[in-house]
Amino acid sequence: MALRAAVLRHIRLPVQTLPAAGSRPQSQLSFLRLFSSHDDHLTKEEVIDRVLDVVKSFPKVDPSQVTPDVHFQNDLGLDSLDNVEIVMALEEEFKLEIPDKEADKIDSCNLAIEYIYNHPLAG
Amino acid sequence: MSGATAAAYLARRAAQKERVRILYRRALKDTLNWAVHRHLFYQDASDLREKFEAHKHAEDLDTIDKMIAAGEATYNKWRHPDPYIVPWAPGGSKFTRNPVPPSGIEIVYDYGREDNE
Repeated sequence: MALRAAVLRHIRLPVQTLPAAGSRPQSQLSFLRLFSSHDDHLTKEEVIDRVLDVVKSFPKVDPSQVTPDVHFQNDLGLDSLDNVEIVMALEEEFKLEIPDKEADKIDSCNLAIEYIYNHPLAG
Repeated sequence: MSGATAAAYLARRAAQKERVRILYRRALKDTLNWAVHRHLFYQDASDLREKFEAHKHAEDLDTIDKMIAAGEATYNKWRHPDPYIVPWAPGGSKFTRNPVPPSGIEIVYDYGREDNE
């Protein structure tokens, strides 16, 4: 026992403090695995980030003008058919199935974020 | 008659625009069903978009109605027999797979052993 303690005393490593958690870009829930399909609702920031990414990667859109409040036709100068395309891209991103009448009413980023956030099965 | 007042005209135009949007949405989804690979889909989607853009500036209400009816007929003719449906939506594979149990049902954890304590 004494030999073991003596050996351990010599090879003991100095205690290091972990680097300060300055950059935690992901939210804490991304490390927590939830096993029920009804618990893991998306956080609002995640929804906003993903919606803005989809809108920014649309070829007819100027990425610097995209904010969470932007209206597709008034602010970004898009067509109504472009609106339909954006809604379809959002459906593909979040694996949703939006009924036709509801999809017709989604006109701005605000409405899209609200709809997706309140949808129980948004992925 | 095509609507004597301006309000009726605008209402009819708005209804037509909504029909066009819904038709474009369904046609785009159908295109994705047929052309599964993305590069083919982009090609077909831009062709579809050009078909819609060619008649963008039509003004006469009856002509527009006829064009929408023709478009819907083409859509019905080309509908995919096995479309992709999101799993939890009606028609998908997970629909009503795990329905919510009726309320008021509880699990009895000591069934048969209530007297034994």
